[in-house]
Amino acid sequence: MPTKNVTDERLGKFKNKGKDPAKLREKRISECVELRKAHKNESFMKRRNVTLSSLPDEDALSPDYSTDAVSVYSIEDIIKDVNDHNKEAQTRGCQAARKLLSQESNPPLKEIIDAGLLSRFVSFLGMNDEPTLQFEAAWALTNIASGTSWHTQQVVESGAVPAFISLLASPMLHISEQAVWALGNIAGDGSASRDILIECNVIPALLARISPDTPVGYLRNLTWTLSNLCRNKNPCPPLSAVLQMLPSLIQLLHLSDKDILSDACWAISYLSDGENERIDVVVKTGIVPRLVELMGHRELSVMTPALRSIGNIVSGSDQQTQAAIDAGVLNILPQVMRHPKASVQKEAAWALSNIAAGPCKQIQQLITCGLLPPLVEQLRNGDFKTQREAVWAVTNFTSGGTVEQVVSLVQSGALEAIINLLQVKDSKVILVILDAVNNVFMAAEKLGEMDKLSLLVEELGGLDRIEMLQNHDNEMIYRAAHNLIEKYFCGNEVEEVKVDSTEDAFEFRTADVPRTFEF
Amino acid sequence: MELNDANLQSLTEFLRKTLDPDPTVRRPAEKFLESVEGNQNYPLLLLTLLEKSQDNVIRVCAAVTFKNYIKRNWRIVEDEPNKVSDPDRTAIKANIINLMLSSPEQIQKQLSDAISIIGREDFPQKWPDLLTEMVTRFRSGDFHIINGVLRTAHSLFKRYRHEFKSNELWSEIKLVLDTFALPLTELFKATIELCQTHATDVNALKVLFSSLTLISKLFYSLNFQDLPEFFEDNMETWMTNFHGLLTLDNKLLQTDDEEEAGLLELLKSQICDNAALYAQKYDEEFQPYLPRFVTAIWNLLVSTGQEVKYDLLVSNAIQFLASVCERPHYKHLFEDQNTLTSICEKVIVPNMEFRSADEEAFEDNSEEYIRRDLEGSDIDTRRRAACDLVRGLCKFFEGPVTAIFSGYVNSMLTEYAKNPGENWKHKDAAIYLVTSLASKAQTQKHGITQANELVNLNEFFVNHILTDLKSPNVNEFPVLKADAIKYVMIFRSQLPKEQLLQAVPLLISHLQAESTVEHTYAAHALERLFTMRGPNNTTLITAAEMAPFTEQLLNNLFKALAFPGSAENEYIMKAIMRSFSLLQETIVPYIPTLIGQLTHKLLLVSKNPSKPHFNHYLFESLCLSVRITCKANPTTVSSFEEALFPVFTEILQNDVQEFLPYVFQVMSLLLEIHSNSIPSTYMALFPHLLLPVLWERTGNIPPLVRLLQAYLEKGGATIAGSAADKIPGLLGVFQKLIASKANDHQGFYLLNSIIEHMPPESITQYRKQIFILLFQRLQSSKTTKFIKSFLVFINLYCVKYGAIALQEIFDSIQPKMFGMVLEKIIIPEVQKVSGAVEKKICAVGIIKILTECPAMMDTEYTKLWTPLLQALIGLFELPEDDSIPDDEHFIDIEDTPGYQTAFSQLAFAGKKEHDPIGDAVGNPKILLAQSLHKLSTACPGRVPSMLSTSLNAEALQYLQGYLQAATVQLV
Repeated sequence: MPTKNVTDERLGKFKNKGKDPAKLREKRISECVELRKAHKNESFMKRRNVTLSSLPDEDALSPDYSTDAVSVYSIEDIIKDVNDHNKEAQTRGCQAARKLLSQESNPPLKEIIDAGLLSRFVSFLGMNDEPTLQFEAAWALTNIASGTSWHTQQVVESGAVPAFISLLASPMLHISEQAVWALGNIAGDGSASRDILIECNVIPALLARISPDTPVGYLRNLTWTLSNLCRNKNPCPPLSAVLQMLPSLIQLLHLSDKDILSDACWAISYLSDGENERIDVVVKTGIVPRLVELMGHRELSVMTPALRSIGNIVSGSDQQTQAAIDAGVLNILPQVMRHPKASVQKEAAWALSNIAAGPCKQIQQLITCGLLPPLVEQLRNGDFKTQREAVWAVTNFTSGGTVEQVVSLVQSGALEAIINLLQVKDSKVILVILDAVNNVFMAAEKLGEMDKLSLLVEELGGLDRIEMLQNHDNEMIYRAAHNLIEKYFCGNEVEEVKVDSTEDAFEFRTADVPRTFEF
Repeated sequence: MELNDANLQSLTEFLRKTLDPDPTVRRPAEKFLESVEGNQNYPLLLLTLLEKSQDNVIRVCAAVTFKNYIKRNWRIVEDEPNKVSDPDRTAIKANIINLMLSSPEQIQKQLSDAISIIGREDFPQKWPDLLTEMVTRFRSGDFHIINGVLRTAHSLFKRYRHEFKSNELWSEIKLVLDTFALPLTELFKATIELCQTHATDVNALKVLFSSLTLISKLFYSLNFQDLPEFFEDNMETWMTNFHGLLTLDNKLLQTDDEEEAGLLELLKSQICDNAALYAQKYDEEFQPYLPRFVTAIWNLLVSTGQEVKYDLLVSNAIQFLASVCERPHYKHLFEDQNTLTSICEKVIVPNMEFRSADEEAFEDNSEEYIRRDLEGSDIDTRRRAACDLVRGLCKFFEGPVTAIFSGYVNSMLTEYAKNPGENWKHKDAAIYLVTSLASKAQTQKHGITQANELVNLNEFFVNHILTDLKSPNVNEFPVLKADAIKYVMIFRSQLPKEQLLQAVPLLISHLQAESTVEHTYAAHALERLFTMRGPNNTTLITAAEMAPFTEQLLNNLFKALAFPGSAENEYIMKAIMRSFSLLQETIVPYIPTLIGQLTHKLLLVSKNPSKPHFNHYLFESLCLSVRITCKANPTTVSSFEEALFPVFTEILQNDVQEFLPYVFQVMSLLLEIHSNSIPSTYMALFPHLLLPVLWERTGNIPPLVRLLQAYLEKGGATIAGSAADKIPGLLGVFQKLIASKANDHQGFYLLNSIIEHMPPESITQYRKQIFILLFQRLQSSKTTKFIKSFLVFINLYCVKYGAIALQEIFDSIQPKMFGMVLEKIIIPEVQKVSGAVEKKICAVGIIKILTECPAMMDTEYTKLWTPLLQALIGLFELPEDDSIPDDEHFIDIEDTPGYQTAFSQLAFAGKKEHDPIGDAVGNPKILLAQSLHKLSTACPGRVPSMLSTSLNAEALQYLQGYLQAATVQLV
């Protein structure tokens, strides 16, 4: 079919289909240009105003210099105090600064930076004998690092990274935790900052803090920071770093705290979002069964990244997909497909579409595990984004499945459902459906049941819709629809006679060319 | 070309000449303009004229010429010269927006089109300031200018509605959103406020409402690909205002025109589309607004009149409800019994009523009526939309909806019964309602295949349909009669056979109805009933069951063709064809009369063929007459020839192009019935069939080849005797066909017939040339299709003339040619040959080469002996090789034999497959064994040693099987 070129682009994103390794990078659709709001249920890249779990009662920690002083404490006062030589003034200034920076709307990040206070804050970080000052400075820097990329850059350039890494070892838990948090904000800024941290050996320092006695709250922050160290592509985090982090992440995944599980799953989802070699590293840890288990977690914040991770893994090679299947993904997927939240359904359908792109043995497992009914339900009643993924699942299924498998797909009601979807307002989806219909016809051809299928498609209203699509403004759709009609619906109906308009007989003779034949 | 007055003056003169009605003045002027359009400044001269010319006609003409110039030249095609100079490009882009906005509407439209063509190529990269320039005009406050901008934006953005998602496209949309979305929203709000300020000023309102319509269209384009962040954040503004506009009615904007949709209708229609887009794609975000829209649209439907001008609006609005009501989470919006009743009563029923526009079409434009009602080209009609809504509601509420409608159907039928003459439209609506309620799935071939079980179709048929069919006056209430006939037709698979048999004679009598729709429906219904299959895959209705009605059926069908307006009615002609095919030998007694009527018809339509389907079925009917009659008695063929040849001669003489392929097929059918001789009437025609002009038309080629094959089969000797001077012409046809990639297989068909049927001595002198031509083609453009045909041909030649003759003729053309063909063509490609007969020919030919060609045993060709045998065993045992070389993937599908779209093939003129080898060789594998055995006894020891040296083990095993089966041994 002439639809090839366009569907290729997406097909290239399915394993087995695309041979161009460069295309594998585009596996996740979200990497493309987006018109929509950023995803609401992704984890945060940077965080401000987190309550530290290990924060002792604030009064006990340091005298509060200004209960409601933020309003009276001007930036000029802060600058003056921070630059003072007096430790008390410095502490007061730092505290005022971090409070100012913690305010909900428009914290004056730039003003503090422009005042040149960052290097001062960084120098305070090293003052192990002034824990309060250390802490306030760390907090202020954390808030600045939670700003835009430019803000974070300033923090990095002020030399905060090694200072924070040293601070991780602080005996004061809340100070160490503040450092964890700051480093998390820096790591979340992007590949470049992340790799600076990694080069400064942040990972061993972080991992050293994990012990059976580490309080849960602290571990939550630490897990989040680790997840940011796994995050971002172009380039991905260095493989050596990934290998360093994985054993601890696996450990964390076996805990029961939902926040830890959530961020650990996000970390795995970032690590598995890449080329097959990256997926391999994750699969080899043996974590897949646990991820499958977590797909059934009652907390959305856990199941979402677990599902994403599994989705990434099944977009890998056939062996990697098989690992997920062996871990039971197909047993849990039906219930996930029926999850009340549309975003979960969509993610599940995406995973299914990738499993359906596998060899027919895997397609068979998909049938055996009862995935066809929820697939058809989603095609019928799902949210549009889910329907789109489900349509891809059908097309992949029909292009790789055996004739018998395609027959059971049709019997499950999928053909009817995709035909109904031919009226959607999305050109690509329409084209993908036409491809699927064509695939089903090819299967019918092998069974010698083309006429039967033609009638079925007509009964389901498909012929009407396909005929209408011959008027579609998109040329590929028009041509695909036209081809289907020509190939399968013309029957014995008459074709219009097309004749080109132009003495006695043709001449029969051979040209006098010197000839030596060579075939 | 300078930008000066002299040039402007001369351009003006040429433009004026392009408007001249006299082609001798107009054409040279157009040619001249085309010849100078490559010059720099030419487009700028046009722009100057369209802005400054004193003559309005010239201004418009310059605008149109400019737009066409842009359309032809703006795009830069790779490897082709840039057709518009860069300074001109820059100047055009710098001025065109201003120019467009300051021009009167007629010119504005042309320039707006030109901008969108340029935009398609240059925007955004090469025209970065286009959007900002446009957006600043929103603040002008002049709605003439604003509408110009909006229209241009619409033509730039509307492609977002159908193009595939891509990073490039989405980056462009993002850019557009960044500069355009906010100003558009502000403009939208401001325009709505202005509508309130100017609520009493009709002229102002008209301009403002066209702005609102354009803004709504832009909304649709910008929101089509995905829900943009901006519009999600501003959904409240847009949806609240859209909702307000939907419920708004302004008496000032109502139009008196009944046909043409007014501004209000256009705007509301677009808003329905926008709501449907959001409901379908952005359900999650749109959910809070949806119930309000459902209510508003439903109220809109209840209060909208029956006039044609509302059709699009009503159909869009109903489609919106139809798409929403089948979504599970909106079920509750419709669930309430009162709601359902009200939708049925106030939305569905009124839109199913037969309107005066329908009545006019029924009477005066029956073709259009039939197309809409029967062939389903009613996509945008109210009735279709109402039907879809019924089907949508039935998804969750089949029981209640059926109950509500049953009540309606009954009351409408009661109304009708009270006063049929007055109230017949009620019955029409009742039938339509029953049909739409009952039909769940439908095909052309079987009618309705799945019905709503809650509707008793048979009972309705007996009580309400049969009565109309039985009414003695077929011309009374023609609409109801047509409805009744259609009911039988579409529910044919649901009704019991007895009812259908009861209906058949009634349908036959309706063929006499004066109403075109009515007798057409009757013919169509009969035709469909006759194609129904019963058990054992025979026809449901048998010829025996039809026997009592045969005469009346045939009479009435032909009489119906005499009605004015039905002289070339394709439905009737198809029913004639189908009746012949069903009745078979029962029609023989009537044939003398029928053939007279058919040939008379043929003579008439050949004067001016205009209905391709009618003509096709006419020829099919002729073929059936011939086949059915001659099957029983082949000698009657001459009476058909007597009847048909005069008409055929006229068709040939007048060169009625549409009919020639049919005539050739009917002639082939007739000639093939003759036992091995060829009547002189055919021979007289022979030279004409070789005329090049006939072969220039692709549609003639397959039927002409078939006809020539029939000539050769029946009269090869006659041609060699009395028309030997035509042989070069015949071979000329072959040469012409073989040269074309599309037709070479046809050339081979012809050549194979020549080899098979012409006396060998008559073509001896041409043989070498034939092969040279084939080799030349093989050398210049070797395609898989050509090779397949070539292999069949050389093997047929070998079968016919012997292996030695084949080897000698090859080697006489070029030394060692035979070996080269074996090695490069036969051995590697024979696996690709498809078709049982074709494979058999190749097998027998190769067996002969292996066993009857001394050169294979004693020359350097010997090394090819085992590979050839191996290839032959492969041909027997391996699956066909259907691979195609990569460089051939782009050859048109028409190039494959058997696929002939441009050729009107008659189903009932079908040709039997011809097997030139026939029973002479039953099983080629046995023949191989026997031939090898013979060879081995002639030269003992040679064959086993050749086999043992290089035949692979698997092939050897197969071969041993053949030898065993033939009970022979090699020595």
